[in-house]
Formats: sequence, structure tokens, C-alpha cells
Amino acid sequence: MAETLVLIEHDREHAKRPSLHAITLARQLGGEYALLVLGHGLDEIAASLVSYGACAVLVADDPALAEPLADRYATVIAEAARKHGAKTLLGTSSTFSKDVLPRAAALLDSPMVTDVVAIEEKDGSIVYRRPINAGSMLATVKVEGDRRVLTVRATAFEAPAANAAPCLTQRFAFDAASLPNGIEFISREQRKSDRPDLTEARVVVSGGRPLKDKETFERLVGGLADALEGAVGATRAAVDADMAPNDYQIGQTGKIVAPELYIALGISGAIQHLAGIKDSRIIVAINKDPDAPIFQMATYGLVGDLHQIVPQLIESIRRS
Amino acid sequence: MDFAWSDQQRELLDAVGRFASQQLNYNVIENDRDSVFNHDAWKKCGGFGIQGLPVPAEYGGLGMDPLTTVAALERLGYACKDNGLLFSINAHMWTAIIPVLYNGSETQKKKYLPGLCNGTLIGGNAMSEPNSGSDAFSLATTAVKKGSKYVLNGSKIFVTNGPVADLLVVFATLDKARGAYGICAFLVEKDSPGLNVARKLEKMGVRTSPMAEVFFEDCEVPEENFLGKEGAGSLMFTNSMTWERGCILASAVGSMQRLLETSVRYAKERRQFGQSIGKFQRVADKIVDMKLRVESARHMLYHCAWLRGQRKQVYLEAAMAKLHISDCWVKCCEDAIQIRGGYGYMTEYEVERELRDAIGSKLYSGTSEIQRSLIASLLGL
Amino acid sequence: MKQRQSVEKILVPFKSVPDPNDAVVAGATASTPKSVINPFDEIAIEEALRIRERGEATEIVGVTIGAPAVDEQIRAALAMGIDRAIRIDDTRALDPYAVARILRALVEKEAPHVVIMGKQAVDDDSNQVGQMLAGLLGWPQATFVSQIEFLDNKTRARCTRETDGGLEVVAIELPAIVTTDLRLNEPRYVSLPGLIKARRKPIEILTCDQLGVTVQPLTTTLSMSRPQKRATGTRVNSVEELIAKLRQEAKVL
Repeated sequence: MAETLVLIEHDREHAKRPSLHAITLARQLGGEYALLVLGHGLDEIAASLVSYGACAVLVADDPALAEPLADRYATVIAEAARKHGAKTLLGTSSTFSKDVLPRAAALLDSPMVTDVVAIEEKDGSIVYRRPINAGSMLATVKVEGDRRVLTVRATAFEAPAANAAPCLTQRFAFDAASLPNGIEFISREQRKSDRPDLTEARVVVSGGRPLKDKETFERLVGGLADALEGAVGATRAAVDADMAPNDYQIGQTGKIVAPELYIALGISGAIQHLAGIKDSRIIVAINKDPDAPIFQMATYGLVGDLHQIVPQLIESIRRS
Repeated sequence: MDFAWSDQQRELLDAVGRFASQQLNYNVIENDRDSVFNHDAWKKCGGFGIQGLPVPAEYGGLGMDPLTTVAALERLGYACKDNGLLFSINAHMWTAIIPVLYNGSETQKKKYLPGLCNGTLIGGNAMSEPNSGSDAFSLATTAVKKGSKYVLNGSKIFVTNGPVADLLVVFATLDKARGAYGICAFLVEKDSPGLNVARKLEKMGVRTSPMAEVFFEDCEVPEENFLGKEGAGSLMFTNSMTWERGCILASAVGSMQRLLETSVRYAKERRQFGQSIGKFQRVADKIVDMKLRVESARHMLYHCAWLRGQRKQVYLEAAMAKLHISDCWVKCCEDAIQIRGGYGYMTEYEVERELRDAIGSKLYSGTSEIQRSLIASLLGL
Repeated sequence: MKQRQSVEKILVPFKSVPDPNDAVVAGATASTPKSVINPFDEIAIEEALRIRERGEATEIVGVTIGAPAVDEQIRAALAMGIDRAIRIDDTRALDPYAVARILRALVEKEAPHVVIMGKQAVDDDSNQVGQMLAGLLGWPQATFVSQIEFLDNKTRARCTRETDGGLEVVAIELPAIVTTDLRLNEPRYVSLPGLIKARRKPIEILTCDQLGVTVQPLTTTLSMSRPQKRATGTRVNSVEELIAKLRQEAKVL
């Protein structure tokens, strides 16, 4: 019986590293925690999770769960939480957890707090801090009731160390035949990339509308990212203009990143975009407009034409 | 006297402001430089409901009273920086829509008003000629009845919207000897045989509003396109001109408000000699004068519109509004440039364009001299 | 030939939020911010309107929860073109789960064929209500949708979803909950004729009591604070200077 159940996300081959950050919050909350993975063919993934200090790794493995269909996943997750008496259900914010966990919360008749960045103790209970209004404010909230569901911002919690004595993996049994059938998986874009994952990369190079078109975007933003072995991101405007695919979008309604180095090319710095990069250690901004708001957030700002500057930058980095 | 807007009026005005600031302010500097008319923005305004504001709903408009109409145009001028677009819209409303609405037959109204209101038809008016500007009724374009048609001969200048108009309201004379009583008006569709919309005219300001010289060379107009009654042409013209004078500078009041607000902001942020320039009396005084002009201009605009809504004659008030608002607008623009110093002279800052746009307002719809002449005679002098 | 049936009723829940384009919202000044329809919900309204315009729905009903002040946003939604609107009169600070439970009662009353709503409100950024509502109703859900198409005589919908890994396509049985993402469409602006027509459209006011639902919010906001501001950075004047600083000062290259 674990007080806390942590949902771990995977890509059918490996556990997704940012999703492990929720374990750090589980540790902060204290008490025992179990990890939960759902899918099909999970033996290796389950085995990779045994050293994170959990009391058990629960595995819901069935062909019916081969695709992350929200109605099926939420049902199984809620059952697992109930059966194991978990009072807190955790996950790391991602489109997967956001799709599935609120539905599970409803099935558990419990409230949910999204994007927790820190916890505090106040008058004997835990309160949660989370960003609102595109991250321009932080709200401290308390939650009542027997159970709660939380998602954490991966960038606000450290990666947990995998140095505990291994725990058992345990098959979580459920009735696959009685799972809902209302959602059918049709297809998924499969884009293979040699570049690191945007949410895990040490360096992120991002581009905005001034990059003109897909080719220029790839040549300059992609070129600089490759020179630095980093990932590529984009603003909403660039994605809307078809210069980059939706999963490159960084910001309030896209991905949140906090790399060591974030380079913003031709990005003016709308609040909604800044919301996605605030916690980067070093921010570099390159923009033609000296009054662009991004310069107020940048560690280093260079005013100028990115079409001239970026090739020079790529050249200089390659030389050294 | 209740100076407050009703909730419904406020809702309407807010919708106008939001629409204009989000949909109409793109490429203004380039379009002004290259004299480009924004067809897309025109259509959006039509779909939004601007052109049809004062037209009864049965003909495709919104049936707004004159006061709400000018308030909406004022808000439009505040939120939209393209004075040329607004000038075209105004010309269309007062010189094409109003004559058809007040003088057209049911058939003519049903045929043209819906399109004129929803943005699909662009209207213009051809009155001024190379030899008759202020002396409008001395026009020389002739109209002769030939069977079931009228044949027009002559030339018109300063035809706003000429290059893009689908419909022109053309004033001609059936009998020069009868003077003002010989004047009549025709609805001339584009592509009419003998209609020659000639060279586009380059202007100092409102450059995004297209203007042309138009020639009538045995131009044929079907008799069902005769507008109003014979002999009533000059009265028709005077009535539509009175509408125009009272309303055409509504958006100028909005532009002035915008200039005032941006000037205040500039004066607070710009620092010289260790303080914000707004603290210098010579700068502050200019802004104070701008404020007084905006307020007095607005009051004259509203009063004239209110009187019209009360079905009163507004010859005097319309002339006064036109004269005063145009004066105020030009002076506000001059001050706005002066306050910004060298930056005010730069195209990028979009105030020099305002001055170029504003100067036209002392010339069109009757020059300031003509307005003074009218007011003097209405005062009994 | 398959008979085209309409989806009949679409329910669009929407929220009144402070205008995100208003500098005031970010805390710049202290005056009352203007309110607008939550941008994602506006996209939902637009999608419902387009579905009706292609003849695939007959009635669009909007619903919001709040005080009389939100009537302005209700009128804006009516002006865009929805047929009627419901305001659930509740002035409490509700949390997503309370909202979902109230909406469930309304869905049971109105029986729509599909509920389309924004994926998140831009003031709260929770991204929970649609999914919770789906869970409470036991209905299929498609979240972060950038395209919707009805299939099989409107018994199913094919939805493209924007996920962390790219685009994904699912087919869901109706009735269902769909939450909208940014690129689903670009909402139309309110026109004056729309505004005037809206004045004649009905706004129904209901209370939670009338809906037969009693909920208490389980989440309370205790305080708000500003996140720590980043230290002001420096301007560099050349590529060389930038690289030098990144290497020596920031030690990130």
C-alpha cells in the first residue's frame, strides 16, 4: 500500500526522462510511493524503473493498452490508485498526462492541481505553488479531500537519482474486456530525429517569425542547434506560419523548457513565449529590434540581423 | 443634458474599436507610400457593418441614428490608422449612399443599397470639374435625353474612389441656362459605354484613398438611373453635402484623440536635460491645446449629429463642425510632430502622415473659405 | 447514398477571462482589466459555427458560469453567432473539478451531441475541465484538437491532436468531449449586425440549485506572488564577444 502513486510516461522503448522528475516530488511529500506504467510489452521499461526508491513498480501490460487511449488509461489508473490506497496521484506535465490524469481525477472524485513547481508546509498541511496567467504570477493553493491528483513541471524538480535498492515489479491486474471502447487510435506522425528531445536537451535554439520560411528556419535554427548539439524550438507564430511543426512550440500552451542555454533567434518575447523559457540558466537573444521585450529577460542580448549573425555564429562555433 | 452613452452604444463602440485595431492596421506605411487602396480592409468594414451604419435595415444597413453613427466613425478613426481608407468610406457613405437613400426610387434603393452597405459595391461621386470647384453649380458636364437613355458629356476631377468605384453619382446639367435648376444626378455604373476613368491622381495625403479624373464621352446612362426629380439636383447635392460636412470628420476626432494620447505618453517617456519633456512648459502647453481642440471638436461633432437626429436643419452646425474640426486636426498634427522633434518628421513614427492626411480636410467637402462664407450668410451677414 | 444527418446540438462551455493582450493583466498597472472570452473557447465557438455553416449541426448553445458581469462575454458569443446562451449564476471562486461537476449536470439537461471547449483557460492554465467532464459522463474525449471531421453519419468524429510528439489522429464515438488547440481555426470578429441580432437572442439564467447540483470547490488559492525576476543581462556587440562571454563567463560552451 503506497500513499503516492506516480504515473511514468514512456515512448514504448524507454521511460521518458522528464516524467521521472515527479518522483522527486513524491520523495519530498514523504511516505511510500509506487510507480505505475501502462502499455504493452513493458518488461524492459519496468525493469529500468526499479532503482528509484519506489516500494513497487506496478505494470499494467495488455494489448488493450498498446495506445494511450484516455478513457482506457484513466480507468486503469483510477483502479490502480484505488486498489493501492493511494491518496496522491502524480505525474509530470505533458500532453499525455494532461490528457489522462484529469479524467482519472474525476473517476477518483478528486481535485487536481496542474504544473506544481514547489510545495510548502502551511498550518500542518501541504500547499502547492503553481504558475498562472502564462507564468506571470504564482498561486499558492491548498487542496481538500481524501485524494488529490498533481502534475509537476519537470523543469522545477531535479531528476531523481536511481541509487536505491531495487524493488519488485508487480503486474497490475484489471479486466481488459470491460475497458471503454469509445476512442480509436488511427495514426501518429513518426518523425525520427538525431537531435535531443526538446524537454531534455542541454541546449535549445529557437526561432520566430523572422526566419521567413521552413528552409531558412532549418538552415539557421537547425544549423545552430546542430553546431551546439542542441534541440530546436519555435514560437507559436513560427508554427502557425508553417515554419516548424507543432511539437517544436515553446510557451504557455506548448512546451516548457529550462535548458542550460536557450538561444532565441528573431523572437520578440511575447509573455506567452517567455512563460516557456523563464527557468533557462542562460538566455541569449538575437533580434533586430533593440526594444524587443526579450532583451529584458536575456542574459546576453545581441541586436542585429539574425540572417547575418547566425551563419557567423555557426561558423565560429564549428571552428573551435 | 445627459452626455453618457447607453450600454448598447458602448457595446457597439467597443466592438468597432476592437475590430478596427485588430483588422485594419496593417501595411499602412507601405500602402501610403505606394498609394495602394486596401480592398481587403474595405470588404471587412462592409462585412462588419461600417458602410451601412445609417441605412435602414430593410436596405441592408443597421439603421443607426446620426449620433451613434458619428460616434462609431470617431471610434473607427481612433482605432484605425489608415485615414485614407476612412476617407474612402466616408466619401462612399455621404456622396453615394445618402443620395440613393434619400432620393432614389424603391427599385434603385433595393438594387444598390445592399451592396453599398455590405462592402461588395464601392460608390463615389463626380461633382467637381476642372473649372468648377467651390463654384460647384457652374458645372459644365451636359446630359441630353436620347430615347430611353441619357447621354453625358464632360469631365470630372477629384473623383474619390473613382479608380475602384462600381457606382458613381454623377452631377450634370440638362439645361445650362436654368443654372442651379438645370442640375440633375445620375447613377452611372462602371463599364458604362462612354465612361472613361482616366489617370489616377497622386495626392499629398489620404494616399490610400484612390482618386481619379473621369471623362464622359457620349456616356450612355439608362433612364431608370436618373436619380430623384428633374430640377432637384442642386438640392440633392446640398443635402448630401450637409450630411458630409457634419460627418466626414468624425474619424478625425478619433485620430486627434489618438494623437493626444500618444503625445502624452511620448512626453512622459522622452527625457532630455534630465527630465521628461512633458515637464517643460512649451511642450505641456502644446498638449493642453491639443486636449482643448479634441474636446471642442468632439462637442461640435456630436451636437450637429444630435440635431440631425432630432430632424432639425443643420446647415449652420455642419459647416461649423467641418470648419472647426479640420482646423483642429491640422493644428493637432503639427503639434504632434513638433513634440516629437526630429522623430516626428520620420515616416516610421506615423505622425507626418497624419498631417499630410489632415491638410486635405480644409479643402474637401467645401474649403474652409466656403464654410466661412456659408456661416457668415447663415448669420445674416 | 448515405443520408447526412446533423449533429444537432453542440454545447460550447466558455469562460470569461481578463484580456491576455492587456498589459494590465501582467501586473503592470492597478486598473480593472478588460474581460474577453477565453481565446481557446473562442476557437471552440468558431468551430461550432463552422460545423453549423456546413450543415452538420442545427443548434449551438453556449454556457458559462459567473456573475452578471460576464453577460458582456455572453453577448459577444451570441454576436459571433451561437443560438442561445445559458449563464449559471455562481459568483464563487470555483476550481476545475467543481466546474466539471456543474457542467455535467448541464450536459445531462441539454443532451448535446458534442461538447466543444477550449483546452485551457489562459488565466488559470489548468487544462482539466474537459477531461474531467468526459470522465464524469463516461464519454469519449479528444484533447488539444487541431482538426475535427464527422464520420459515419455523424456517429463518430475524427480528430487530429497536437501532442508532445507531433500530430496524432483518433476517432471518437459521439456524444463526446472535444477540447480545442490554437491551430483549429481563427475565430471571426464580432460584426455589428451580429451584435444587434444578439440582443434578441435568449440568455437563460440558471442556478446550481435549479440544475440539481451542489458542489464545493476543493481547491482554494491562499496567495499569489510574483515569480523571481531574472537578473538584468548585458548587451554584447558582436558574435565574437557573445562566444567569449558564453565560454568564459557563463561557462556554457
